[in-house]
Amino acid sequence: MRRIVSLLAIAAALGFPALAATARAQTVIAGTVKSKAGRPLGGLALLEKGEIHNNLWDRGALVDAQGRFRIEVAAGGAYGLHVYSSGYIYSPQAIRVETGKTLEVQVALAPEPTRASTPVIRKVGFFPWEGHPGVTFVKADVADPRNILGPQVLAFDAGTGRAYALEPPQKVRDLKANFPNGVYQLQVDTRARALDPRDWHFVVADHQCNTSDILSFPHEPKPQQVVQ
Amino acid sequence: MPRLAVLLGALALGGTGATRAAAEAPADVPAPGLAAEGQRWWTRSPDPVNPVACATCHDDPAAIRGWAPSFPKVKPLPPPHARVMTLLQANAEAVARHYRLEDPLPAATAITAYLTALAADLPVSPGVSPGQPLFPHRLRQLEASVSRGARSFGARCAGCHRPAEVAPATRRFPRPWPEPLQALETFLTGHRPSRPPLDWSDPEMADLVAYLVSHLAGEPLGSPGGSIPP
Repeated sequence: MRRIVSLLAIAAALGFPALAATARAQTVIAGTVKSKAGRPLGGLALLEKGEIHNNLWDRGALVDAQGRFRIEVAAGGAYGLHVYSSGYIYSPQAIRVETGKTLEVQVALAPEPTRASTPVIRKVGFFPWEGHPGVTFVKADVADPRNILGPQVLAFDAGTGRAYALEPPQKVRDLKANFPNGVYQLQVDTRARALDPRDWHFVVADHQCNTSDILSFPHEPKPQQVVQ
Repeated sequence: MPRLAVLLGALALGGTGATRAAAEAPADVPAPGLAAEGQRWWTRSPDPVNPVACATCHDDPAAIRGWAPSFPKVKPLPPPHARVMTLLQANAEAVARHYRLEDPLPAATAITAYLTALAADLPVSPGVSPGQPLFPHRLRQLEASVSRGARSFGARCAGCHRPAEVAPATRRFPRPWPEPLQALETFLTGHRPSRPPLDWSDPEMADLVAYLVSHLAGEPLGSPGGSIPP
């Protein structure tokens, strides 16, 4: 820490006040994810900006094998933190971080007692829009055995740190309504940065919190198992 | 905002007051049978296909103890459904969604009894949950709800009741009579309506309860403080 403080002081003295201010203003949501039994879990940590359950997805991060994640956000305020790990019921919690501070959270996930009710991501694909360079459609074919999908058909681009809700095959006006099974999609602007499928991760949760496994590259679904 | 300041001030003093009141009077918590029934709903899903119950994720009674005293409060449902809810209303919303019950009221009432019994010695703290961050926008919504509830009380109840006198009686619910069980909201639904009755799930019901409970901030959730006026 002393070295960082010294570097900031030198940066300011050398005429890089913006650099020093930027470093000081970093706002971070970090945390540890474990199972109820205390085992560290890898997965995804995704944020809604503002009130939780508003479906305005913002930033995200991969949760590493030690159960650690760290998300830098542009500003302090309220966020909805959702944490996912394959075989576990996702955990939502409303959080509030102050600008320039790091919020540390602990998350404990409960295993899915059965996979008979959990949604399934059957297939994903990446489709450049012919005749429209710079636009790629990301599509996910999703099915829920009980037909109670909600808005959480989610994608995370680890290359940019952005989280997205995919659009359902038919418009759903009420976020509490049951969303249809079928092909969900997202239009991604690739003019500034090429899309790399290896960076993309997908997860789905229904209205009863039943949660699919996370589907990562090469995006080949496997049978969903109950965690022992 | 002054009422909110008073409410938060009362909460700041609540620990001492709650301890004193709890020592002076035995806790008046929902009947054990009712709370036990609520615990069954909490721990077992009625759905044989989906065994996920409330306790699957919320399995630590110490962690959920602070929930009941924090109601009424803003329940952050997807927009535009987010609003101030009573504990019963929030439980009904949750069991309707998770357990897919056609009539969520009996299960929600029993779960309300269970959660209330867990927190009998904790101070009433509408909008504030132990260990949870404070969200100013939610507190402002709660403040507005209390104000609406004051107007509702004036129009519906003030002819016979004074709020400070009747508020303590809200802590006697849920109760096991009339059978099978009765929540505060269902009691108010049928209590001498001088105007079209409120439904237990109405937002105006949450406002009315928020106004009544605002008189109890800092007092223990489960202590007796008055009888139900005739």
